[in-house]
Amino acid sequence: MTAIPVAVAVDGVVKAFGPVRALDGASLSVDTGEIYGLLGPNGAGKTTLIRSLVGLVSPDAGTVTVLGRRLPDHAVLADVGYMPQSPALYADLTVEENLRFFASIHGLRGEAARLRSSEALEFVDLPSRRRSVVATLSGGMRQRLSLACALVHRPRLLLLDEPTVGVDPQLRVELWQRFTQMSEEGTTIIVSSHVMDEAERCGRLGLLRFGHLLAEGTAAELRRRAGVERLEDAFLALSGAAP
Amino acid sequence: MSLRRAGAVALRILHQFRHDRRTLVLLFGAPIILLGLFYFLTGGGSSLPAVDVVNLDRGPLGAVLEADLRSSAQITVTPITLAGAVSALNSDSVVAYVVLPADLSSVASQQGLIAPAVHLEGTEPSLTQPVLLAVDQSVASAARSVAAAEGVRLPRLQPTIDYLHGGPTLDSLDYFGAAFIGLVVFFLVFVVTIIAFLRERTQGTLERLMASPLRRADLVVGYMAGFMAVGTVQAVEVVVFALYVLGCHNQGSVALVVLITLLMTLVAVNLAVLLSMFATTEFQAVQFIPLAIVPQVLLSGVIFPVTTEPVWLQVVSRLLPLTYGVDGLRDVMLKGDGLTGGAVLLDIAVIAAFAVALVAAATATLRRRLS
Repeated sequence: MTAIPVAVAVDGVVKAFGPVRALDGASLSVDTGEIYGLLGPNGAGKTTLIRSLVGLVSPDAGTVTVLGRRLPDHAVLADVGYMPQSPALYADLTVEENLRFFASIHGLRGEAARLRSSEALEFVDLPSRRRSVVATLSGGMRQRLSLACALVHRPRLLLLDEPTVGVDPQLRVELWQRFTQMSEEGTTIIVSSHVMDEAERCGRLGLLRFGHLLAEGTAAELRRRAGVERLEDAFLALSGAAP
Repeated sequence: MSLRRAGAVALRILHQFRHDRRTLVLLFGAPIILLGLFYFLTGGGSSLPAVDVVNLDRGPLGAVLEADLRSSAQITVTPITLAGAVSALNSDSVVAYVVLPADLSSVASQQGLIAPAVHLEGTEPSLTQPVLLAVDQSVASAARSVAAAEGVRLPRLQPTIDYLHGGPTLDSLDYFGAAFIGLVVFFLVFVVTIIAFLRERTQGTLERLMASPLRRADLVVGYMAGFMAVGTVQAVEVVVFALYVLGCHNQGSVALVVLITLLMTLVAVNLAVLLSMFATTEFQAVQFIPLAIVPQVLLSGVIFPVTTEPVWLQVVSRLLPLTYGVDGLRDVMLKGDGLTGGAVLLDIAVIAAFAVALVAAATATLRRRLS
C-alpha cells in the first residue's frame, strides 16, 4: 500500500439537523502520520465532523476524502479506527470478548486476533482485567478498553472523540506517549478535545466554531497569532469569545 | 409529608407525559384497540360458524328440521347437495354438514327417533359445540311440532356424529396447545430480540458497528443466526414438552411441527429488529407488546377462530404472520397434514415469505435510525 500524503481532506462540508447547522462549510486537510487536534466549545461540530469521516453523517453539501477515497466508501472503513465519545462496549461481555469481537469484524481470525487483542490490552494497560465483565469496570477503564477496541485492527487512520475524558492525569500522559509513537509509525490521528494541555501535544490544531474552522496551525503559531502566552487565551481570542 | 413537594413530583410526572407521546398513545389508544377487538371477536358483528345442510328426506319432517336449523342463532346454515357439502367440509369452508336422511320422516313416525347425521370438521371444539347445540335445539322444536300435529309421542333425538379430523377425544388442550407452541416461541423470541437490539443502539455499539467494515446485512443475518441457535433449542424444548409431557394430540410429523416453530422464530427475530427502529429505549420497546403483539395474538386464531371473525377483520388476520403459523401447526398436529396436502406447504411458504420481507425491511431501515 503506497502512502498517500493527505490522509483526510474535508472540503466545504455542510450538515444540518433540522434548524441547527452542525457543520457549515467545514474544510480541513490532515497529512499522513499527523496528529491533528480538533478544538472547540460544546456544540461547535467536533463530533459531527468526526462522524462524517466514517460515513455516519452524510453531508448535505461538500466532499469528504479519507485515505484517498471519496466517501461514501464502505471499503475504506477497514483502515479506520473510530472511538466514539461515550465508551460503546458490550457491558455483559468480558474485556477480552469485547476486543475479540471488534477484532473479528475487522477480519482478524485465530492467532492473529488473539495476538492483536493482547497488544491492544497492553497498549491501554488493562491486561490484568482481561477476564472482567465490562459492567464491573470503572469509567476510566471502559474508556481505555474503548480505545483498545478502536485500534485492535491497527488502523491507518485513528479518530478519537474526546478519548481521555475520565482518564486520570498519569494515564493520560501515557496514552499520549502512545499516540505520539503511533503517529511516528505512520498512523494518522484526529483527536477532538477541549483539554488544552492535550492540544499542546498535537502536531496541528483546528479551532472549530459555528460548524467551521476559525483558525488552524501549530500551538505555537496560534499563540503567536493571538499574541498571548497561553493556548487557552489564544483559543478564546481566536474564537471571538475573549472579553 | 409536604403537599407542596408531593405536588412538585405530580406536576413533573404530568410534564413527562406531555413529552412522551408514545406513552400517551399507549395509555389512551391501546385500551380502545384491545377492547374493540374483544368486542368484534366475541360476538359484536362477528360471523357464526358456517354449516351446510343436505335434506334427502322423502317425508315432511326434513323441511321442518331444515327451517328450524336455518333459524338457529348458533350457526349459519346453507342448504346444499351432498357432494357440495363433502367438498366444503374438506376445504374448511364449513365447520360441519348435517344430512337429513331419506327415511328421516318414516323412522320418526314408526320408531319415534329423529336420526340426522352430523359430520363435523372436528379440530375446533369451540366451533363443534354450537353445531351440536343447534342440531339439538332444532330437533327438539321439530319433534314438538310433529308430536302436536300427529298426536303421537315425542320422538327422541338420536343423531349419528362423525368427525373428519380428531374426534370427541380432542379437547381444548389439543386445540390451543397446537397454537400455543407457535405463540410462546414467537412472543418470547420477539421480546428478547427487540431488547437486545435496542441495547446495541442505546449503548452506542450499533454506531460503532456502522463505522466498521461490517455491513448492514451482516448484522441482520448475524442476529438471525445467533437467535436462531438459541431459538432452535427453545423450539425443540417446547415441542417435546407439549407433545411428550403434556401429551398434546399430534397426528402429523414432529419434524414439521419443529420446522414451523423455527420459521416463527425467524419471523419474530426479524420483526423485532425492524420494530426496534421505532423505539429509542428498552422501555419503549416493552410498550410494543400491548400495541403490536396482543392484537396479533387476538387476531391470529390462537383463541378465536379466524373463520368466525367479521369479514373485514379476517382480512387483517390474513396479513399477520402468526395466523399462518397457528394454522400450519393445527393442520399438522390436529389433521395430520403433511407437505403433500398443499395447505401446510402454503402456510410454510407464506411464513418464509414474511421472514424474507422482514429481513429486507430490517436491513434497509438499519442505517436510517443512526442519524
